[in-house]
Amino acid sequence: MKKLLAVLVLVSLLAISGAAWAGEKLTVYTSMKESLIGALKDAFVKNNAGIEFDYYSAGAGKLMAKIAAERESGKMTVDVLWHSEVPDFYQLKKEGILEPYVSPEAKFVESPVKEPEGFFTPVRNGTLAITYNTRFIKTAPTSWQDLLKPEYKGAFGIANPALSGTAYGSVVALAQQFGWEYFENCKKNEAKMGQGSGQVVDDTAMGDLLACIGVDYITTDKIKKGATLGFVYPKEVIMLPSPVAIMKGTPNLAAAKKFVDFLLSREAQQIIANSGTLPVRADVELPKDTLLPNPHDAVQRAIVLDFTTMSATKEATIKKFTEILRPGK
Amino acid sequence: MNRTGKFGIAELLFVLSLLILIVIVALPVLLIFWTSFVVDGHFNLSAVVEVLTKPDTFEALKMSLLLAACVTVTCTAVGTLFAWLVTRTDMPFKETMKVLFTIPFMLPAFIGALAWKMLLSPRAGYINQFWMALFGTRTPLFNIYSFWGIVIIETMYLFPFVFIQVSGALERMDPTLEESARIAGAGLFTITRKITIPLILPAVVSGALLVCLYSLAHFGTPAILGTEVGIYTIPTKIYELIHQSAGSFTAIRAATVMSVILVLSAAVILYTQNRVVKSGRFQIIAGKSVRPTVLKLRGLRTPLFILCIVYLLVTVVMPTVTIFLVGLLKTYGLPLQLGNMTFENFYYVLFKWKLTKDAIFNSLYLSLGAALVTMVAGGIISYVLVKMKVRGKWFLEFLGMLPFSLPGTVIALGVILTWSGRFGINIYNTGWIIFVAYIARYMAFSLKSNSAALEQVHDSLVEASRASGATPWQSLRDVVIPLIRPGMIAAFFLIFLPALRELTTSVLLYGPTTRTIGVAIYTLNEDGETVYACALAGVALLLIVGGEILIKRFFEKKKRLDNGGA
Repeated sequence: MKKLLAVLVLVSLLAISGAAWAGEKLTVYTSMKESLIGALKDAFVKNNAGIEFDYYSAGAGKLMAKIAAERESGKMTVDVLWHSEVPDFYQLKKEGILEPYVSPEAKFVESPVKEPEGFFTPVRNGTLAITYNTRFIKTAPTSWQDLLKPEYKGAFGIANPALSGTAYGSVVALAQQFGWEYFENCKKNEAKMGQGSGQVVDDTAMGDLLACIGVDYITTDKIKKGATLGFVYPKEVIMLPSPVAIMKGTPNLAAAKKFVDFLLSREAQQIIANSGTLPVRADVELPKDTLLPNPHDAVQRAIVLDFTTMSATKEATIKKFTEILRPGK
Repeated sequence: MNRTGKFGIAELLFVLSLLILIVIVALPVLLIFWTSFVVDGHFNLSAVVEVLTKPDTFEALKMSLLLAACVTVTCTAVGTLFAWLVTRTDMPFKETMKVLFTIPFMLPAFIGALAWKMLLSPRAGYINQFWMALFGTRTPLFNIYSFWGIVIIETMYLFPFVFIQVSGALERMDPTLEESARIAGAGLFTITRKITIPLILPAVVSGALLVCLYSLAHFGTPAILGTEVGIYTIPTKIYELIHQSAGSFTAIRAATVMSVILVLSAAVILYTQNRVVKSGRFQIIAGKSVRPTVLKLRGLRTPLFILCIVYLLVTVVMPTVTIFLVGLLKTYGLPLQLGNMTFENFYYVLFKWKLTKDAIFNSLYLSLGAALVTMVAGGIISYVLVKMKVRGKWFLEFLGMLPFSLPGTVIALGVILTWSGRFGINIYNTGWIIFVAYIARYMAFSLKSNSAALEQVHDSLVEASRASGATPWQSLRDVVIPLIRPGMIAAFFLIFLPALRELTTSVLLYGPTTRTIGVAIYTLNEDGETVYACALAGVALLLIVGGEILIKRFFEKKKRLDNGGA
């Protein structure tokens, strides 16, 4: 018994202290989902056998909190940061902790986010459009205004912008394009505020909602697995690019640059397109059965957002939104 | 024991106990109070008032209290009814039923909430869909996303608190009291009112208060069923504040003020509970093994039996089956048909997905590590508390009471304040912070179990060994530890199993790679990965139920051995 206990203690201590890293390796913090970052890792490691590659995948908020904690303790683990909250990158740039790098591939990039000094570079142009349930909705909606029609009464969902960065982005975009009246009209039609941006899609698949503001790769992934969902882009496209940045002072600068070059290469962009999200390069072929618009067109149709002010106004915007949409008691 | 006054093993243990309790438990609580009441070095009540009068905080507070009150009432009614049925009536299969009624305890409430969300969400819940198809209506049978939905789900999984207490009291109650009343000519109604109810009242109240305490601090159910329709409780509001802020101080401050309310409510509840348990009436319930008379249910026997079976089928079997079936679906929203099912999700969460694999390992080693450390630390502290006569023990006793009144949310906030660099150590976002929080959270279990075991070791045994020339260390090693080992092992499992499925604390502390099973299930559900959430919940259920069965086996075997040996 005593021996067993001793072994158990040892094992648990070892397991806990396993977090300490040593040696040369590239660590990427990303909010991309497992299947995408996994596929990219495989392709990258194949071409760069010498680089030990590791990644942490979590929501952008969690990643930023971890980076803040690491900065506080003075020991940075992260070399490359890649997530979908553009305002965070402007903030980090202002704080001076990003390493500028203009990749030779950057000239092929088309995105509403432009950063000529290279502190960060968009890697994909995430889009949000209308996800609807094809079992109940026979004529697909074509515009954002369609969702205010009586057939969507009580069944149009928007994710909670306090919980999801993409939901916040879509709220800002729609409020800017159509004014706050849009959400007031949504409320009149008893639109629902959901939780995460994935959950509203699942609720739509299940029929709890008839339509929602859906993220491209989440919706297309579920459609691929057989969900009875449709996905349509109205004229105004909500586009939230995901930039990549190298952290200043990284000991693995060469490897980090190689990874950024790789992400912007045609090969990686093809992997991104295949995962159901929009690449930043127009010279990439979208999969045949894709529901995504042409990358070049989409950028032209995107609602232009001022990402530099988005974090300063975040609290007020969320408050305004929840006041309009929060269900009455 | 050590009267020579020099610094011996007694003082060492005392200081060690004090240190553990101060660092792990007292400091976090102190910092919470400090953060709420002290602004820029001055005592300041206006900040507290400001947070409390903000409409959304006030609503959350009101909702928490209302919810806890309703859940307490319903749990008490359900728990007492079933306890009475399985102990004092001629219901068939009573012994089996008694075991079956404790099963809802094993099911984590948030997994129950997840299952019921899929069964009773207004438009798409399987039961509601069936109902609407059956009657050709567009109005669902019941909307689980509501106040009463939360009350019902919490009741389903928390009523065993009352059930266990009350059935125990009813069994141990001296039946001669009721018999003498009957002989004296009292009717059943009078006996129940004047004898039975006053006798079991302390057990009922104590169970009810446990429910109240648990419900007040419970995160999972209101988070899954309430947030979407704007129902916030203190724990879910704190979660939103912390999540939104990524560590900003104003949010943490507002959260600490709400934690203070939680701590104070918990303290009031525990104080009341202590008073009730200690009240003299309880003493009448003696350890007699006389079988109490049973009430003949006659015509109601079968209907009530069916009621019990249906209740268990609805609250245990149906949600469990739903979790596994949805876990098998290719994607959420497909009809539950064989053609749409695959083992892919289970394979993916167990072997392929880093996130879920991490979560399973994290939960395993965190609960294992926390259970071991807390077991040993609790043993040392209990030893000092029960067996030693050291000056200043009252302070230790006070500190030892503290973990009992700390809800999981409060502990999480406390460790964030303590361990994110303020004292030179920053373990925020690592597994260590959850580890420290678990020790604080489960210290109460360990203290309870260890002191109970220690109280049964009579002082004379230690004195005898000391008189025969053993050193304090020898008598500890050869006399005390072997005697309290069962208590320590019980403490280990009392911590290991709840920690394995913990959500309330870890959901505020997890980092990119330190999700626990509970957090992974919760965030997968929030992210709309419903089928994976269900597959992982299925795995968790297997782990928990498997663990419970193993432990029951272990203790039964032990009991038999002990009885045989005696």
